Amino acid sequence: MRRERITGFAWGLGTIAALLVLLELVVEAGWVKRSLLPPPSAVGLVLYDLLASGEVLPPLAETLARLAQGFAIGTAIAILAGLGMGYLPWLHALLEPLVELIRPLPKSALVPVLILFLGLGEAMKVTSVALAVFFPGLVATIQGVRGVDPVLLDTARTFGHGRLRIMAHIILPAALPFVLAGARIGLGLGLVLATLSEMLAGQGGVGFLILDMQRSFRVRQMYAWIVILAVVGLVLNSLFLALERSLLHWQHAQATATH
Amino acid sequence: MPHIVLDGVGKRYGDIQAIGSVSLKIEPREFMAVVGPSGCGKSTLLQIAAGLIPASTGSVALDAAPVTAPPPSVVYLFQQYSRSLLPWRTVRRNVEFAIEHHGRPRAELRDRAMHHLARVGLEKFDEKYPWQLSGGMQQRVAIARALAAEPRVLMMDEPFSSVDALTRLDLQALIQEIWMAQPMTVLLVTHDVDEAVYLADRIAVLTHRPSHVAEVIEVGLDRPRDAIATREQKRFLELRHHLLSSLLRRPDAA
Repeated sequence: MRRERITGFAWGLGTIAALLVLLELVVEAGWVKRSLLPPPSAVGLVLYDLLASGEVLPPLAETLARLAQGFAIGTAIAILAGLGMGYLPWLHALLEPLVELIRPLPKSALVPVLILFLGLGEAMKVTSVALAVFFPGLVATIQGVRGVDPVLLDTARTFGHGRLRIMAHIILPAALPFVLAGARIGLGLGLVLATLSEMLAGQGGVGFLILDMQRSFRVRQMYAWIVILAVVGLVLNSLFLALERSLLHWQHAQATATH
Repeated sequence: MPHIVLDGVGKRYGDIQAIGSVSLKIEPREFMAVVGPSGCGKSTLLQIAAGLIPASTGSVALDAAPVTAPPPSVVYLFQQYSRSLLPWRTVRRNVEFAIEHHGRPRAELRDRAMHHLARVGLEKFDEKYPWQLSGGMQQRVAIARALAAEPRVLMMDEPFSSVDALTRLDLQALIQEIWMAQPMTVLLVTHDVDEAVYLADRIAVLTHRPSHVAEVIEVGLDRPRDAIATREQKRFLELRHHLLSSLLRRPDAA
């Protein structure tokens, strides 16, 4: 099983390597203009410089800080609202139509609105991220709360646990797999909104740099930052999956135990 | 004074009258079984007695006080034991769930959980998770958890219906042993006639829907009852015959 996965992963890496070689050859053969697509090796050199000089760190830290703040705020509000809406039918009835109205809207469309209200500064960018993170977290939490086994709830009631304890010790842990899945989707969307808000109103950050490099015809730098962003997305997702596995160890083990 | 009084309890679901009118008096420290054909609403009756759902008509009283919510002195053992255990908690932490909200220090919680796990023979499995145990062991965890709450009333809803036949005999013997060591009022709902006769002091027989009490039978077998020998006694076989005849609606040949 493990060996198969590693071999599969090696094949996948091979695909990426083959694509890079192909691009290199296509560019060297002169089929694509170097000003549009520099050879991967040239992008690699720029990337190496960015990493070796430490130049990569300040913009990366800026974007990640934004993402972290927005993610924390958006997830916290999503969990609270989701617990409330999942548990209290009247609150669900009150808010569900509103949620369903705003949820399908690409949150990028709201960034101009946020600029109107909050200006071009940090508050606007963090709010954009929080808004993107909020909806998937909310919907998943509601679903998780509503899916809690009624036998567990009755068990807690017969032992005389109050509503708050039932919330903390039954509903939240039982809904946690859903909450985390929603938060992980939110994390991806949050990165989208962090870079986008930086492009629209940036002085710094990875999103700002990608656009800035493109506008100043520094195409190799632009591609280097895109690669950095891709790796950031990959690393964040992997870290989050690892967190999920450790928090939900009982669930993964349970699934394998019953199979 | 009876410990639990069901007075004309009825339950209606839309157009269906599940329970017609059930009246029963259960004495303190009595082991009462309720048997009935499937669909007669015996599980519903138990949930009403436990204050988990309201009755449509009639009332339930515990210690002469009306029951409107789960009373603290009552513990309920669910049929779906594996779903009643918290899968994210170890066996010991599951048992602690029964008492952890009473403001006791951690060490005491732990000691009491271990004590009750030992009573059901699971003291070596305290750090396991429920899903690592067999069905019978999971039900033992649920029993240990119920005991940890030190209930004065134990309500059981077909507690052994989903374990294999041998494990069932084992668990029935365990329940009798626990009850004899520390008598409490027990209300057991079951469709297993053997189980009712083996465990109960008295057996209430419910009719088909809309159900009412057809009869209440005094078991009168000596205790402790043996898992094998008691089941071969004349009195046991007579009661078994009588109950099965009445549940299958056949004329009683005994």
